[in-house]
This record gives sequence, structure tokens and C-alpha cells, in this order.
Amino acid sequence: MMKSSFLRDCLIALAAFAILAVLPFVYPSRGMSDFVIRLAAFGIFATSLNLLVGYAGLESFGHGLFFGLGAYTFALTMQKLGTSIPVAFALTILLSVVVACVVGAICVRLKEIYFAFLTLAFQMLLHSLIIAWTPLTGGDQGLTGGVPRPPFLGIRLDQPYHLYLFCGGLLVLCLLLMRHIVQSPFGYTLRMIRDNPARATFLGVQVWRMRLAAFVIAGAFGSIGGMVMSLFVSGAFPDFAYWTISGEAIFMIMLGGTTVFFGPLAGAIMLLMLNDAVTKLTEHYGLVLGIIILMFALGLRKGFMDYLAEWWRGRQMSSVAAPAATQARPLPAQPVKVAGE
Amino acid sequence: MLKIEHLSKSFGGVAAMSDVSLDFPAGSLTAVIGPNGAGKTTFFNLITGALKPDKGNILLEGENIAGLSTPDIVRRGIGRAFQIASIFPSLTVRESMLAAVNAHRGQHAGLGGRFPIAAAEDRAQAVMEMVGLSAKADMVSRYLSHGDHKLLDIALALVLEPRVLLLDEPTAGMGPEERWQRIDTVHRLWEREKMTLVFIERDMDIVFKIAQSIRVLSYGKVLAQGTPDEIRRHPAVIEAYLGTEYVAGHA
Amino acid sequence: MDLPALGNCVTSLSCIITQSTSGLIIGMLLFLVAAGVSLIFGVLKVVNFAHGSFYMLGAYLTLTVYGVTGSFLLAVVAAAIGVGLFGLLFERLIISRVYGSQVLMQLLVCYGVILILDDLVKIIWGAEFRSLGMPDVFLKPPFLFGGGVVPVYYLFLIVLTLIIAVLLGLAITKTRLGKIVRAVAVNPGMVSALGINTGLVYAGVFLLGGMLAGLAGALAAPVRSIVSGMGLSVVVESFIVTVIGGMGSVAGALVGSLLIGLVRSFGTIGFPLFTEGLMFLLMAVVLVLKPSGLFGRET
Repeated sequence: MMKSSFLRDCLIALAAFAILAVLPFVYPSRGMSDFVIRLAAFGIFATSLNLLVGYAGLESFGHGLFFGLGAYTFALTMQKLGTSIPVAFALTILLSVVVACVVGAICVRLKEIYFAFLTLAFQMLLHSLIIAWTPLTGGDQGLTGGVPRPPFLGIRLDQPYHLYLFCGGLLVLCLLLMRHIVQSPFGYTLRMIRDNPARATFLGVQVWRMRLAAFVIAGAFGSIGGMVMSLFVSGAFPDFAYWTISGEAIFMIMLGGTTVFFGPLAGAIMLLMLNDAVTKLTEHYGLVLGIIILMFALGLRKGFMDYLAEWWRGRQMSSVAAPAATQARPLPAQPVKVAGE
Repeated sequence: MLKIEHLSKSFGGVAAMSDVSLDFPAGSLTAVIGPNGAGKTTFFNLITGALKPDKGNILLEGENIAGLSTPDIVRRGIGRAFQIASIFPSLTVRESMLAAVNAHRGQHAGLGGRFPIAAAEDRAQAVMEMVGLSAKADMVSRYLSHGDHKLLDIALALVLEPRVLLLDEPTAGMGPEERWQRIDTVHRLWEREKMTLVFIERDMDIVFKIAQSIRVLSYGKVLAQGTPDEIRRHPAVIEAYLGTEYVAGHA
Repeated sequence: MDLPALGNCVTSLSCIITQSTSGLIIGMLLFLVAAGVSLIFGVLKVVNFAHGSFYMLGAYLTLTVYGVTGSFLLAVVAAAIGVGLFGLLFERLIISRVYGSQVLMQLLVCYGVILILDDLVKIIWGAEFRSLGMPDVFLKPPFLFGGGVVPVYYLFLIVLTLIIAVLLGLAITKTRLGKIVRAVAVNPGMVSALGINTGLVYAGVFLLGGMLAGLAGALAAPVRSIVSGMGLSVVVESFIVTVIGGMGSVAGALVGSLLIGLVRSFGTIGFPLFTEGLMFLLMAVVLVLKPSGLFGRET
């Protein structure tokens, strides 16, 4: 096993950032830079969901709670309090952490289907609050009137290139941080819990505390995705907290693959491109997307990067003539019998 | 080392364990036997906190651990392996060992460094060598053989440097030859590590061959306890458990 | 929050009666959907997230059949049977392929189906709100109880669904079929070893669940606006009901639904902004106090 190096990851991140920085000069296109900003929002969001699904084995169906919460908190803080952008960022993350602690404390001890639906219920709760609390949130019309973008540290987000680079930089930074988390000892503890929570308990791990920590971390990163979206559209809309956001993020990570770190990013790229293509071709977006989802779920069943990783592992294996490892997704762990004989 | 006093547990009015008192001296090698449904696994579940006792004390070197949570009990030095091997299917053997070492040392929540922590590697390597899994260190656990799954399960328990090691049927599901190899491994571990070892076993030949002493459970009660010779001659055991056939064959 | 208004209401008999009946019809309609969700979960361990879309289909089918024939009875029967058959197809062709998969894979499949149905409905019936109007049979002066106004249709709806609830409960506990269904829920392997076709039981449960949801949609049509996407809140509420009542329990589904209905109708007076919040609060309380639900068995 090769120890992954933080330094190497930093270098890759720097290179990615450099490429993003020069890209608009090589290929100046409004569509491209918009795409990168949306990718930043959904790439961060989907990857944060996969911290839960792929690494901790927590199948959340309500991760959009944090996307919506991030977008609205950020936009409202900027509009009503008139703070600087970094302060609004910090406040939003703080609030998301608090909300994640409360929601997580209730949800993470539940069995999987209860967990999935209870997280969804909390998201619906936020959505209904947004709709109902019109004086603050603008109700179903959304929070309009623009999000101010005062300059800070020489960064002027009212300029397209600055906004583009800021969002792209956030994407790179968040991915770097999340990558570090999944490669840390904590990340491997999550893998243990995903594979076999009962066994982890018998090794002295307080499973629910680890799950709660994962839930809070994922919530914080999820809210950053929402903030990027709010910066992009200069407002916030109830759709950001609607259940379809969670549904799309789930499709992204399934499409890209849950067993590879960059799977969710790949899925986000694929789904965003697909979205753009479909909306250009037809107004029946839901119909087409639904059919694609069914074809994927009933046909392929595994994400793009999952297949890639298997193919790669298969090649390595066959070159050393070892037994073929064909499956990366953990099987449901053997249940540990605890109650009686 | 491990002393059980008046341990009782019932499920919905049905007593699964009633007033069980047993003593496992330090460094002993004890087999727990009993017919199906005798409460052997329940007994282990109660000791390790997977089930909460209704009544009774579980004393680990004098400290009552009854009612504590599983992680708290584990941290006090009780390791356990399972009847159905309980492992981490998608981690390699080495990763499993290293993650277990982290958990044992309380470093499993660390976000600062990268996995593996260098200081954990020696211990992980040592345990793999102890049980003979080092050649398969980089295999994904899922692809190991059934016997190796059981071995890995024991190795995970050993990482905890347990004072008391509980093995639930270490030879379950194995062929005769593999069984004896496994028991040999377990016996050598016990001699080397000088721990208190308690194991559940169905194979009576194995039990009488290696156990220093035997505890017989039946319907959640202690039927008998003593040395293999005493148990072999114990009338209640012969009647309730071993059956006339066994006595005839081995007398 | 408007506690004085709530105070005024609960001290006035007429307001209590009006709000209670409106809570009861919310609850009874919800029960028909939730019973299906609960049964399907109890037997198959799958949450049919698309169940709300079944309900929506029922409403739209009613709209069309009533529009063509002018007979509400015919429309209701057609909706129940039509949606029941749809449920059967859905089980055989789609959801049966992801039994045993990750929960998220099952939800993803349902998500796809919801997207398709919501869009299809828009294509066929249009995107705008539709309404059926009250069928002529029920256009009679409302009953008055202690100053409270109770429309005839409300009474009809409550009585009909109560009868269905009782029949369903009897069918599950007393009949051979019900026993098989319960046995499959506990131990599918054993039942299939006894020579019972579990696949048939699964399909049957979806047929029944679909019929109930279709019926709910049909009965809701005269009193609800019909629109694409109307199923989602219903399915989420159904899930809340099954959590409160206990998975797989018909009695639990009934009690849970009525609780939710009353919370909604009285909640709109006292906590207009937080009605949904009250439901979630109720669910959270039950989850903390009795995680298996009011009528659920400990597992």
C-alpha cells in the first residue's frame, strides 16, 4: 500500500488551479466559465455527499438541506448584515455545523432507511420554512435583489474573471481538503464503519460519534456548494433546498462512482453536460432525465469511475497473476449476531 | 482475571441466562460448551456489552464492567472474534490491521496526518506475523478464504492486546485438517501471549484435547465446570449433553 | 405563531368540529397512501418513494374518466384499478430489479420514475392546476353539528375510508392471504421453501398498494387541486406516518395518519408558518421515545 502524500496532492491541486487560471485566456468563453462555476458548486456538493455515502456508508437523501441552507444563509448575511464575503462564508459554515450537529444527532443512530428519509424530512422542513417565511426569504419567488459582492483582499467578485477563479479555486481547495480527510486515520475509520459498524464497535470505536463527525463535515462542505451557487446566481431560490437537489447529487455520485474519490466530480461534470444538452434539445427535461436515470440504474448499475478503477485493478492483478479483484463496492458486511443464539 | 457473578438476562420474559456465576483465572485456557441454544454466544454478548445484563456483575480484574458500552469494555482489554467472521470486506488485511491499531490507541479520529500512521505499522506487522497472515497483507479481505477470514477476525481482536480473548467457535465451518491447524495456532498464541483465553467450541475432540478447564452451559444455566476429566465423568453432562454414544466411544 | 387564534378555536365547538373533520379527511386520504407505503415496506423492505406519483395518477385518471363519463363512481373504480395495474407493472419491470441493492439505488430508481411521471402528466394534462369540481351527487346542503359545517362529501369520504381500513386490517390479520403476506415480511426464505411464490406476493402487495393510492387520488380529486408534482408531499407525509405508526402496521398507519391530519388542520390555525414543522416534530418525538413506532414491534 502506498502512503498517499499530502505534498503530492497539494502539487496536483496547484497544477489544477493553474490550468483553471489560464483556461479563459486559451479558450475565452462565457459558457465555459459559467460551467466551471456551476461545476464548483455541484462538484463540492456531490463530493461532500460522497463522504457520507461512499466513505461512511451513510445514505443521506437530504443532503440538499445544506446546499439550500448555505445558499440562503450566505445570501441573507450579505444582503441584511452587509458583512464582507469571508465573514459571510465563516458565518454560513458555522450555522451549517450547528444545524448538522442537531440533525445528525437525531439521524445518525437510525437504521439506513430511516436515516435516508429523516434527512429528507429535515430538508423538506427547510424548504417549507423558506416558502412560508416570505418576508425574510422572498417565499417561492426566491431571494432576489442581488447579493452584494464587495471586494476583499484584492479579489473583486463583481468581475467575471475574479468570480470564475474564486469559485474554481474553492473547488480545488475543497477537493484537496476532502481528499485529505478521506486519506486520514479518520477517513479509514469511516471505511471500517461503512464495511462493518459492529466490528468497529468491538475495536473500541464509538461508531455514532464518528458518524456524527462525518455528517457535520459533509454538511459544512455541502453548504460551501450552496454558497458558490448563491454567488453565481446572485440570490437564492427555493429549488436549492428542494428534494430534487438531493436527487441530482445522488445521481451524480452514482453516475460517476462512489468508490473513487473523483467519482462524484466526474458525475457532476457528466450530469451538468447532460443537463445542458437536454435542456437545449427539449423542454421535457424531467422525462428525458428520468429515462436516463432508469437506464443507468437498471442497466449499468455502477459509476463511470468504478468501472475505470476495476479495469485498472484488473490489469494490475492480471499482470502479477493474482486472483482477479473485480468488485470494489463493499458487499454488505456480515451482520454480527448480537441478540441471543 | 474475569469473574462472572449471578449474571442474568431474559428476552421478553424468556430467560436466556439465569444466575450464571463463573470464574476464569488469569492465564487460563477455558472452553465453553453446551448444546444448541445453551446461551454460549449470549454469554459472550453479555460480557462484551453487546447485550446489557438484567442482573449480575462482570468483574475484570476486580472492576465491574457490567452495563458499560462495548467500546468501553473493549478498551479495558477484552477482545472478541465471532462465530461468523466479522471483518472489513473492502479493506486489505494490512489496512484492517492498521485501522484497528489506530482504534486501539485512540488515534482513529485523527484528521491531521495521513493513514497509515507510521507508529502503527510495527504493531500491525507483528500481529499479522503472529497469526500468519503477513503473506496476504495486501489482499483485499473479501477475497481471502473462509479460514483466513476467521484468522483475520482473530487478528483484529489481537490488535487490542487483550487481557481476555473470547473466541466464538474459531474452527466453525472448516474441514478437519484445517481445524487442527487452527487450534494449534490458537494454542500457540495463548502460550506466547499469556492471556486469558475463553473459547466456544462444538468439536469435543478439540475441547478435550486443549482446554485446561471446561464450563458447560445448558438453557442459560451452568450445568457443570471442571477439568476435562471431571467433565467427562460428570453424570449431568453425560446425560444432558454428551449423550451415551460419546461416553461409549471414549470411555 | 398565532396562539390566541388556536385558543379561540379549541374553545369553540363549531371550530373544533370544522377543523376536526378537515383534519380527518386529510388523515383518511393520507392513510390510503400510507397503508400502501407501510405494507410495501413491511413485506419488501423497500420504501416506494414513487408512491406519491401513484396517488397523482389516480387523481388525473379520475379527472379524465369523470370528464368523459360523468360518473364519479366509475371514475373512482377506474382510478383504483388503473393505478393498481400500474403498480403491478412498476414492481415487475422496474423495482424488482433493484431488490437487495443499496437504499440509494432504490431511491434513485424511484426518483427517475417520479421525474418521468411528473413530466408525462404535464404533457398529457397540461402544467396548470386542474380541478374536478364537486360531483353532483354530493351537491347537497352540508350537515351542521353543534355549529360546525360538515360537507356531505367529507362524511362520505370518512366513512368509506374507515370501512376500507377495517377491511384491510381484517384481511391482513384474518385471511390466509394476509397470513402469507405477514409471513413473507418476517421470513421470505422460509415461505418460499414452503412452496409459496414470493414474487407473486410482492407483485400482489404492489397491486394492492397501487389500488389504495389510486383510490386516494380519486377521492382527493374533488377537494384538492390536481397538479404535476402533487405526490411528493404526500409520500413524505406517508413516510412520517409509517415512522409514527410503525412499519408494516395497518392500525399504526391509521392512527399515524389521523394524528398528522389533525396536526395539520389545527396547526394551520395556531402555527401557520410551521405546520410542516409540527409534523416533523411529532415524528422526532416518536422516534426518540419509541423508535419502532407506536404500533411497531421491537426488532
